[in-house]
Amino acid sequence: MRIKILLLCLFLLLLTGCLPSNIIDDILMVEAEGYDYLGKGQIMGTATMPNYVESGNPGSQGAGLPSTAAMMRYISGVTYDGKSLVDKFQPEGQRQLKIGKIRVMLFDDKLARHGLSKQLDFRNRDPDTPRDLTLAVVEGSTREMLTAADYQTQIPVSRYIQDLIQQNSQQNYPDSDLAQILYSYYGEYMDAFMPIIQKQGDHLALVGVAAFKKDKYVMKIDGDDVFVFKMLFQPFDQGVYDYEFARGKHIALRNVHTSASFKVRNGNSSSPDIYARVKISAQVRQAFPGSISKKNADHITKLLNRHLEWEARQLVHRFQTYRVDPLGLGNTVRSFTYRFDGHSWPDRYPHARFHCRVNVNIVQTGISQ
Amino acid sequence: MALNKINETHQLGPMSSFFLIQVTQIGIGFFSFQQPLSRFSAQDAWVACLIGGLSSLGVMWLILRLLENEHKYGRADLFSIHTRIFGKWIGGVLNLATIIFFMLYAAIYLRSYIEILQVWIFPQLSILVFTALFCLLIAYIVLGGMRTIGGIFLLSFVYMIPLYAETVFAVPGAHFSNLLPLFDHGPKSLLLSVFYSIHIYLGSEMILFYYPFIKHPEQAKKWCYFALLDTLFIYLMIMILGTAYFSQGEMKLTIWPTVTFWKSITFPLFEHVDMINIVYMIWILLPSMALSAWIVSRGIKLTFPVIRQKYALIFVLAVFIVVAEIVYNGELVATANALFSKLGFCFNYIYIPLLLLCQWIVKKVKGEPA
Repeated sequence: MRIKILLLCLFLLLLTGCLPSNIIDDILMVEAEGYDYLGKGQIMGTATMPNYVESGNPGSQGAGLPSTAAMMRYISGVTYDGKSLVDKFQPEGQRQLKIGKIRVMLFDDKLARHGLSKQLDFRNRDPDTPRDLTLAVVEGSTREMLTAADYQTQIPVSRYIQDLIQQNSQQNYPDSDLAQILYSYYGEYMDAFMPIIQKQGDHLALVGVAAFKKDKYVMKIDGDDVFVFKMLFQPFDQGVYDYEFARGKHIALRNVHTSASFKVRNGNSSSPDIYARVKISAQVRQAFPGSISKKNADHITKLLNRHLEWEARQLVHRFQTYRVDPLGLGNTVRSFTYRFDGHSWPDRYPHARFHCRVNVNIVQTGISQ
Repeated sequence: MALNKINETHQLGPMSSFFLIQVTQIGIGFFSFQQPLSRFSAQDAWVACLIGGLSSLGVMWLILRLLENEHKYGRADLFSIHTRIFGKWIGGVLNLATIIFFMLYAAIYLRSYIEILQVWIFPQLSILVFTALFCLLIAYIVLGGMRTIGGIFLLSFVYMIPLYAETVFAVPGAHFSNLLPLFDHGPKSLLLSVFYSIHIYLGSEMILFYYPFIKHPEQAKKWCYFALLDTLFIYLMIMILGTAYFSQGEMKLTIWPTVTFWKSITFPLFEHVDMINIVYMIWILLPSMALSAWIVSRGIKLTFPVIRQKYALIFVLAVFIVVAEIVYNGELVATANALFSKLGFCFNYIYIPLLLLCQWIVKKVKGEPA
């Protein structure tokens, strides 16, 4: 019996080390990938990885690694569209490249306009890709954005970009991680969108949202319109909307809560009616002196309602002319329509009538009158 | 006239039937069932899921009737029923068929799990080494007897609770308007989905074999139904969440929707919840495999009394290893799973009612036992 157990233990010992292990100090974790389109199906790919080598311990003599022993920071090279950059760059990698914790994927606007179907298919197929991966379109070169050394911040640029986008998607920008993009890209009667970022001197800035038709970037939603887009797209609670109610006179509202509800009539007719009701509870952040008080809040609110309704209709109208549907209005119509006629929807979408009612409720106007 | 009465020291309490049934029902289908269900009835797949689950209650009623009727004649399990009703030879052949069915079923089950491990985490995983190790574990459990197996089932049930609870983290990403419009599919597409939902509820029929090992079976009855309702609840939740989380176009492309939505759950320092969960799911595999190995080895012992259960078990485990090796790619795994879900359907929904009928006829012809 004892011999049997001994044999069993031996057997177990022999089995260790059968599978390759990934120790965090011994791999290069790719955290950001950037793709620049060169034309004719060729792309310039860039991958960056953070440095996990500990710096030399100043107190001890020669112990630890010298602070100069940094590992490589980025690789870039030319390959075909849709190629896994990790596989492509492995021959240049100092250590094994791993994709499991990738944070950011960037596409320059040329590639986005050319189409991302190969990239998205690859990301949907790969079990290692996390679904909270941030995707973005870059105005300018992604290679320059990822390899520039003149940022104000010292943290790796991949985290800088992800922080920027993730914290903004708590506010004015809509959620757009990989899960959301795959949902709307593969889903029927809706289209994907991604935030657009730009390198402005020594920092990065979000400059709008790129609306996709299938896999191609066709329309840009400007930074000013993003609030209106988000209020129709999802409930949120930390956005800021700046309203110019007369020339040179602004009111800025911070919304406490916003939600939109939809109703659809005649979903199978040639021009379906979509009714959106948006409720915004907001507080006044800044106001033109004397423009708002508890007494005349109603007046401003009415103006604001009309204005936001108009903006929303304009935005949807632009979507309809470009035939893109980042709001998923088609899916909304589907969910309200029995026996929904999906085949003719792309032809009916531009003729859909969008009605919007906005109801702003100013909960407070600040601590002074 | 209690022939071959099981010694009370080997029996399980009535409540064990809850764990045994619930855990055997939740199987490899848990990872992937949303996709085939929503193929035919899109957003109404949860209705199919519900109907499938309720029909499993009906099957359980039939099974319990069958076993209770048999109780008067001696040991109430499927092997004894076969030999009593159909005689030694035909009954023996049926027993053999049952043994082979459950043996292959368990082997394919094991192989499907290995496939998921290979696809998601360890592409280099050797099937032989894994199955060999796993079979050692199963041998250890089965040699401990029915009580050890029952204990493993209890542990498995407890261990799985956080896994089900954790799916709540996928709720913020869900779009519940996907479930609308309700009931937009005709009976035909709904029934097709119900047919595909049957295989996720399979496993409860194993009570046909361990029923004599349950103490006070009349008290165990309600636990059997509770177990079925619990499974129904879990599957229904996962189905509704899956429909809300994925768009239909995305669902068509996703082979393992459950794992994919685990993928979107992340914690700091705990980035890939999907991988942890997949490995954790070995606890759903282990008890069912142990029970199947026990059933098959016991079946061999009862059918061929010369073979002792210990040696039968070695043979069974060897078959597991060989079958897992033979099924060499994902395509074959899918084919085998489709085949076994159809066979399982036939077993539960056609064979068991027929058996009940035969039992009734025999009772009418031969009369009540003395």
